[in-house]
Amino acid sequence: MSGILASMIDGLLIGSVYGLAAMGLSLIWGVMDVINLTHGSMIALGMFGMYLLFAAIAGNPYVLLIPVIAAGLLLGILVYWLSVNWVVGRSQLMSLLSTFAVNMMVIGIGTAIWSTSPYNVDFSLSGITVGAYTFTGNHIAAAISALLIALLLEAFLYHTRAGKAIRAVADNRDAAELMGISSTRVLMVAFAIGIALAAASGALVSTLFPFTILSGAGYQLKSFVVTVLAGLGKPFGALVAGVLLGLLEGAVSPFIAVSWIPLIEFGLFVIVLIFFPRGIFGKATA
Amino acid sequence: MSGTEIAAGASLAGKSKSSGATLELSSLESGYGEVQVLWGISITARPGQLTTIIGANGAGKTTALRTTMGIVRPWGGRILLNGEDVTKLPPHAKATRGLVLVPEGRQLFPDMSVLENLEMGAYSRRARPHHKQNLDRVYQAFPRLKERQKQKASTLSGGEQQMLAMGRGLMQEPVILMIDELSLGLAPVLAQQLFLTLKTLKQQGLTIILVEQNVHLALAVSDYTYVLAEGRIPIEGPSQEVEKNDEVRRAYLGL
Repeated sequence: MSGILASMIDGLLIGSVYGLAAMGLSLIWGVMDVINLTHGSMIALGMFGMYLLFAAIAGNPYVLLIPVIAAGLLLGILVYWLSVNWVVGRSQLMSLLSTFAVNMMVIGIGTAIWSTSPYNVDFSLSGITVGAYTFTGNHIAAAISALLIALLLEAFLYHTRAGKAIRAVADNRDAAELMGISSTRVLMVAFAIGIALAAASGALVSTLFPFTILSGAGYQLKSFVVTVLAGLGKPFGALVAGVLLGLLEGAVSPFIAVSWIPLIEFGLFVIVLIFFPRGIFGKATA
Repeated sequence: MSGTEIAAGASLAGKSKSSGATLELSSLESGYGEVQVLWGISITARPGQLTTIIGANGAGKTTALRTTMGIVRPWGGRILLNGEDVTKLPPHAKATRGLVLVPEGRQLFPDMSVLENLEMGAYSRRARPHHKQNLDRVYQAFPRLKERQKQKASTLSGGEQQMLAMGRGLMQEPVILMIDELSLGLAPVLAQQLFLTLKTLKQQGLTIILVEQNVHLALAVSDYTYVLAEGRIPIEGPSQEVEKNDEVRRAYLGL
């Protein structure tokens, strides 16, 4: 097997975690037209949540994902009432500013507690060796976890009453109210799920790489690229686009220095915006 | 459209305790921003009756329904649903109590399937137990919807969309069904079919308020008519009498 193929497979595994993070951003945008700038800090909190749990319990990180997701849901509800409920349906600048403010608060508090020095979750699964190449066990497990969470979300949105209510509110908020659906409550739940997805992706990243409280920012930017690639408000498209982005990273990383990768990603971002303004999965016309 | 066995709604539950009215609007006022649209209108819908509101464009017909539903906040007056004061409740709380609006422009869930749209109608706690039974009735009334139940709502024709909006309203197990412009934008044949369905629903005991531009059809099917003009109600009465009113004949029937 050639080196580039191995690198691409590894990129694909990591890309599914990018996709999971982007699903959170995309869900919130799709349901309530809010660009959630707390996204990066919530990813970072997911990382530290996993770090703290792992330090305290030393359990299997993939089992610890469950309490991280639960905490993410609660945190999402808190952030919703703190900064989102008042600005839903108003100009997007308002929600950008209010979520950015929360982002800065979280980063500030996080820096005070953990400083900006790197942490890591010291856990490794044995990998799979194919020929001369070994795929890290953590990468494989992270990808499987991300896909599993995505499938659960899909089942929730398409096969449960509460999930359908979220889709109804995303589709037509006024009509949902006419059906007896409290749209405020649904927005809160959708926001909480979006934050929980961000936290889950952060928790998975913490098992892959060292991180600081500022690490969320990079993943937030990747989430934007992925979300635009998929077309805004399409969570499952975001998962696929995340995998594609990872694949791209894997394909170019054997040839260039890592510091060039953001340039390529944002070059792609601009190209997509120019040529596919509705995303590669978006419809050509409204 | 067979129109024989259609959801009877909650006609029995719709019986009133106090005044004998299912829905009673008294001196209702509302508007948008600084502009007042409704200047104290009083409308009573009696159980099992079909009440219509007619009037020119911009008279405030849609605003009257939207204010009743709580989409537009009432500035003054009272709204009683089966004797309960619901004036200040938000739309979802009113819907949960059986006040159902089939809105102008249908307001479907375009990215959801026909079946999912109907399922959302049965979302509330009071409608949920009747889900299956109401779905059967809606499909009997509108077999076309059953044929297309897996399609996205956005792919339906205008007439089918109106059927879906009606069907979704019936899934809500209405105490009272308010319909904003049943026939707008539909071919005459289709409009007549929908009116026939409406008549059947009424015969089965459903209480209905209809806002309608087609005054001929509206007067023909309804029991009681309110004429709305510039946010006030200058004329009201049993539909047969309103039909004979000189002013109505001149202004709305073109006679």
